[in-house]
Order: sequence, then C-alpha cells, then structure tokens
Amino acid sequence: MNISKVAETLEGSVVAGDSASGREVGAVVASDLMSDVLLVDADEMLLLSSLASDQVVRTAHVVGAMGVVIHDSKPLPASMLAVSEQLGIPLVSSPLSKYESCVRIHQALESEKNG
Amino acid sequence: MDERQRQPAILPPPHPSDDEVIDRHTAIPTTVGGESPLVIMELLQRMKVRDVMRKEITVLSRRDTMSRAQELMRKNHISGIPIAENGRLYGIVSVDDIIRALTGGWIDDLCAKHMSTHLIVLEADMPIAFALRYFENYKYNRFPVLDRHHQLVGLISQRDVTRALLYELTVAINRLESKAAPDNPAPDDPAALYACREYPVVHNDLENAGKAANDIKRLLREHKFDTRLARRIAVAAYELEINICIHSFGGSLTFMIADGKATVVAKDTGPGIPDIVWACQDGTSTANDWIRSLGFGAGMGLANSKRVSDRFDIVSVMGKGTTVTCQFNLPAGTGADTAAPPPARQGA
Repeated sequence: MNISKVAETLEGSVVAGDSASGREVGAVVASDLMSDVLLVDADEMLLLSSLASDQVVRTAHVVGAMGVVIHDSKPLPASMLAVSEQLGIPLVSSPLSKYESCVRIHQALESEKNG
Repeated sequence: MDERQRQPAILPPPHPSDDEVIDRHTAIPTTVGGESPLVIMELLQRMKVRDVMRKEITVLSRRDTMSRAQELMRKNHISGIPIAENGRLYGIVSVDDIIRALTGGWIDDLCAKHMSTHLIVLEADMPIAFALRYFENYKYNRFPVLDRHHQLVGLISQRDVTRALLYELTVAINRLESKAAPDNPAPDDPAALYACREYPVVHNDLENAGKAANDIKRLLREHKFDTRLARRIAVAAYELEINICIHSFGGSLTFMIADGKATVVAKDTGPGIPDIVWACQDGTSTANDWIRSLGFGAGMGLANSKRVSDRFDIVSVMGKGTTVTCQFNLPAGTGADTAAPPPARQGA
C-alpha cells in the first residue's frame, strides 16, 4: 500500500511531501510519543499520530518512515509542511480518529494480503 | 523605611550566556524556498521571550507603599510594577490596583497587602509563539518573565513583541537575500562522508532540534548505508540531540566516520547528571510538561542511544557538563583506513 492509497483509505489527502512516492507500507506505528517511535526497529514504517508538530516529521525521517498521517483534521503548522517537503516525507491529513484509522489501515493491509 | 528601600530596584540585564549568543545567531531563519510567510512562522518559533522582553524594569518591594507605585507609574509612564525581592517575584501592582486603592482609601498601605498575587508568568526560554498565545488567552497587557531558576528577569508586552518581530523580519529578509552558499560539502559529494560535522544544539530550541540527526541520516542514505545501520546511527544522534536541547544548557553534536567506525559525540556545557546509572534507565526523566506535550521527555533517550550503539560511553561532571559517545562498527570497506580531515563546522 503506497501513500496515495493510505490517504484514500483514510478519507484524507497528501498535503506535503511526495504524493507519488512508490514506497509501500512495511509496518504501522500509532503513537503521540516520539520516544516510543524511536524504539521501533522496522523498515518502511507508516507513522500515525495526533501530534501536529515538526518533530513528528523529523522523527519519521530518522526512523526511515515511508509516511506520516495526522488525525482528526488537526491544523498543520506551516513549518511542519515545510519540514515534510524538505525531508521528502509524505504527510497525510485525515478527518478520522486514530482508532478508526488504525482499523481501516489494518483492514486494507489484510485485504491486500489476501487478495 | 530607609532611602535604599524606597529606591526602585533596576534589574541589571542578565549577562548573556553562551546559549543566548548561539540562539541569537540561529534566530535568523533559513527557510525552504525563502517565502515570507514561512519566515514569519519560523521567527515566531525561533525567537525566544528573552530576545524580546525588557530587561531593565522598575521593581518595588513588598514594603513599598501603593502611593510609591502610583508615583512611579506616573513618572515612568508604565501600567504595572512587579513586586520582587532578590529576584523572587511576589506580585504585581497594576493601574487597576491603584484605582481601587485610591477609591478605597488604602493608597498609603503596603504593596504586600494589595498587590495582585495570582500571577501568570512566561519563561525566558519559551518561543514567542507561546507568548502571543498567552496574550490572546489571558488578555493581560504584560507578563513577568522568569528564568530557569525562577528568578524575575524581565517583562514582556505585545508592543515589545511587535517591535522585535519587525526588526528581526528586516534582518531575516536581508539575510535570505544574500544567503551564502553552505561551507560544508553537499551530502552527495564523495568527500562529505568523511568530513567531521559539528552541529550546535541550543537549549529548549525544540523547533530546530533534530536537524543534525536529519542531516546525518540524509548523508548516510546518500552514501547507500545499510538501512538498519543508518537508522541506528540516526536514532542515537536524534536522542542525544533532543537530550542536549531539553536537559542541558546547550552544546553540540559531532558526527565522524573513520577507521571503520561511525561515531556520534554529544557534548553539553552543563549542568551535569548527578546519577548516571539512574539517568540511563528506561523511563527516568526530569522533563517538564511543555517538553512532554511535544512528544518527548519519556526518559528513554540515553537508554535507547545505548541500545542501538555498539559502544556507549558517558562522562558527566556536575557543573561542567556531559559527554556521550556512541560508536557503530561499519561493514568492512565502509570508511575503513580513512582519516577524517579537519572539522568543518555546520549550523544545525
């Protein structure tokens, strides 16, 4: 599942970064605590968070994440969009809650796996 | 009351510390694309309350009278006077308090009796964006500013913010227009991998924290490092950079590759760690709520840096500072037998 498909699944849109990135979701982490995200050793992580700050994108870049999703249509600071563009991390804004997003992503990944 | 007590105290401007000097320097924004709205956003984040506040302020003690406060307000054209002793803030006497004292007949009472003691204060290290939010939320004309030791160091008003922003904006635009080329080799330059890079890290400058780790990660990716190894190095660099930012008075992060090893060194100027064993345990932290609201301060930084490193060393001296070294063994042929050239400094 690439970032465009993630945005579509979560009824959102890619608001910064490369929306045509061909990178596929390798793992999913949902957290507002960046300290926790830094503990995860997984390739091509999709990071789901309710925290709309530059540091979420910086953390995503450090751990090699393929994209970031911010929930509940939270307003995104201009600096966050700029960091996202600069580091090449696609940023998705979704109106769904974090719980609903996790469920939808899980279902979509399972569906891909099965068929 | 003797004459000395009657004289309003003028707080001397605090001697600028090293981190203040660095922060002034980094207050000049470097934006993506150099678009003016971004410049303003970055200024609001990068400029701190201490850059804007008035440091020379009129202060009275609790033993001064309300009439003395009234006299100073009239003479100095100010609308509020902090009541403080030896730097400790006890209250504020505002114009409203004076009006009440005049109508109530207690203008000759001591300030201690009628000053406002329910105070909202700002911290000197907070970004200007926070200050603007306070002005909007609390509808006060001014806020007292405290330093990290809870000492009164100044006052800030909306007018101070506007004036400073206009000045910094002019400087920033001039700087952007004449932006010089970076003095470090670009990440995709073959020589860049072996250049020793040093990044200044400023206390509480969380808006910029992580830039060093991002630069290191980009460098490793450009040079096709193994994904997992690059992640381990970047995670250590990021954790240490954030640690310097939130727990120390400021310092630097250095990255180098030589003799088959990649090394990240985080060095700060204090205050030092009293119990290193405790600090290296998971979940131990002294971070405040502001840091936690930004997703950090869970107390896993040192432990995680150690976990991802092949070798981890930490030396801390109280009052002097802490140096943390994380080393990573590189696969044969990567960086082996290569001596690093002299350090090239790079702004974070």
